[in-house]
Amino acid sequence: MQFHIRYRNTQGTLMRILNAVSRRGLDLPAVHAEAAEHDHQVMLTLEVNQKQVGQLYREWYGIPDVIRVGSGAAHTTAWSSHHPPAGVTLEESRPAARA
Amino acid sequence: MVKGADIVLQCLRAEGVDLVFGYPGGAIMPLYDALEGSGVRHILTRHEQGAVFAAEGYARVTGKVGVAMATSGPGATNLVTGIADAKMDSVPLVCITGQVRSALIGTDAFQETDVFGVTLSLTKWSRLVRTIDEIPEAIAEGFHWARSGRPGPVVIDIPTDLLKAKKEFSGPVKFTPHARPAEAKADGGFTDTVVALLKQSSKPVALVGAGAKLSGAITDLRRLLDKLNIPTFATVHGLGAVEPQAPYYLGMVGMHGTRAANMALHETDLLLVLGARLDDRVTGEPTRFAPHAKIVHFEIDPAQLDRVRPCDLPVIGNLADTIPAFEAELRGQTLPDFSAWRSVACGADRAELDPRGLAQPTIRFLDELFSRLPEDSVVITDVGQHQMWAAQRYRSSSPRGFITSGGLGSMGFALPAAVGVQLAKPDSCVLCVSGDGGFQMNIQELASVHRLGLPVKLVIIDNKYLGMVRQWQQLFYERNYAETDLSDNPDFVEIAKAYKIHAFRLKEDVMREFPVSQETGDQIDRFLRSPEPELLVFDCAPEANVFPMVPAGAALSEMLLEEK
Repeated sequence: MQFHIRYRNTQGTLMRILNAVSRRGLDLPAVHAEAAEHDHQVMLTLEVNQKQVGQLYREWYGIPDVIRVGSGAAHTTAWSSHHPPAGVTLEESRPAARA
Repeated sequence: MVKGADIVLQCLRAEGVDLVFGYPGGAIMPLYDALEGSGVRHILTRHEQGAVFAAEGYARVTGKVGVAMATSGPGATNLVTGIADAKMDSVPLVCITGQVRSALIGTDAFQETDVFGVTLSLTKWSRLVRTIDEIPEAIAEGFHWARSGRPGPVVIDIPTDLLKAKKEFSGPVKFTPHARPAEAKADGGFTDTVVALLKQSSKPVALVGAGAKLSGAITDLRRLLDKLNIPTFATVHGLGAVEPQAPYYLGMVGMHGTRAANMALHETDLLLVLGARLDDRVTGEPTRFAPHAKIVHFEIDPAQLDRVRPCDLPVIGNLADTIPAFEAELRGQTLPDFSAWRSVACGADRAELDPRGLAQPTIRFLDELFSRLPEDSVVITDVGQHQMWAAQRYRSSSPRGFITSGGLGSMGFALPAAVGVQLAKPDSCVLCVSGDGGFQMNIQELASVHRLGLPVKLVIIDNKYLGMVRQWQQLFYERNYAETDLSDNPDFVEIAKAYKIHAFRLKEDVMREFPVSQETGDQIDRFLRSPEPELLVFDCAPEANVFPMVPAGAALSEMLLEEK
């Protein structure tokens, strides 16, 4: 799965993004970082399961200078309703909780 | 023109810092040179790990940012365990390290370590300062991240030449975080869902974690729990958040939690998690954790959601916001009658310790100690069996009254942390409970206690083993006590005397009398009320064990209550 992370290129931010991957023992077969308008963007290709996707998203969002996280898969299909990611609204998770 | 070192200290003052803990060395000497007259008091520990744990103790008991300072290379690497500890336990901490001069960075210079790289994965934020102009921003931003959201550790690494350099300085700056896209945050609408879930539930429970204390929402939390009146328990860092006398309170949950708490958590059909990470020490085997429950997870840090077990409804935000909203929704609502469930979960047949456990002299000793503590005391523990016994037995209603290294489980934490706590609370009784193994990991801080004249009450539960490891060896490794024997321990009483600290020993036999003799009681009272630091060494049976215990890989309901 491909991930696109927009970030401010401050000291260590890219390393923190990569560390969230490496600390889980995941391979990093492809990494490409470049300037993007006023910020930077890194593209990562990872083999991950659904649970790891949610964990990575949330950990990346926790890095101070990360601006946006996106992936090749659409949000709504990338997570089952029982794995609401940080960006999912309560409207989306509420029906699952009531089920 | 102002030196970089003076700028650092002025910026620290602007952040409200008047106390730092540290250990000097080559690269950070300019900062030490500037300390006098700065308004920042420096506490010299005897090891950098002592400094960072003392800063943690200060931060944990006050809620303020703790500050530790060290020099480059080994000074900085000695901080690493404390930084990791602060990360795990959400402690606001700023570490300022000296670095070799800018021109030498990357050359493997004397006492050079890539501190930024070493600590990157352990910190919330860090900065290797590259120009003197960056110093004010780095400090302002560092303090912002240390205390915002889920608090955590920050490292600011400053080359020595920048500390010596001078610049025009107009004063400390404020940090304003960059705007981010709308962050995931609970809107007010979650409340009706939680209430609906409560109405569907027949066996709801509440689990309270450190977030309750960190948010400062204790009053709101207690009001909410009174209203819910459902079986409630706490993680080790949640101890003190719930009123211990509350009829619905079942004590600590998890690997060494009470039987009642673990059983209720296993049987519940609705788990309200209030500011806890759901660490594996709390959940037991994750796939069998709360197997019948829907989980509503109130949490400030989205990264903590769904780590061990998916939650059904995340409520992201500070408990100081979400609890009042939840409580407001409950007003005017009629919840189902949970009294039958409460009677089962809180029933006498789920006693928290088996009679053999209660008869253990060490537990009796801790009960005696705790029952005689003055109001507003703070108990600090190290890591191991004594930690779990203390967590099981200490029932405090003070949210910051029980301090321990929970997530990382750092042996050697207690003694230096007690230094930081006593400095923060000079008029409180600070009781530091350690094991004989952990005490020796930072035993040098007895010198700090003596120099500062801190009236810390030090207790060593001396079983002459690395007790918790030995317990696991006994139960799961066929009593192969590999390298856990400490029977050649030094005489701690004599060591304390060498540091000019009064010390004495209590044999466990004195705890076999019930109630304890007048003489023993008087000894403990005198110890706790002494205006001087003192050490009490309690001789513990070598093979005393902590029960209940959930073995690794077992569900919470499969706890061991005694040795087979």
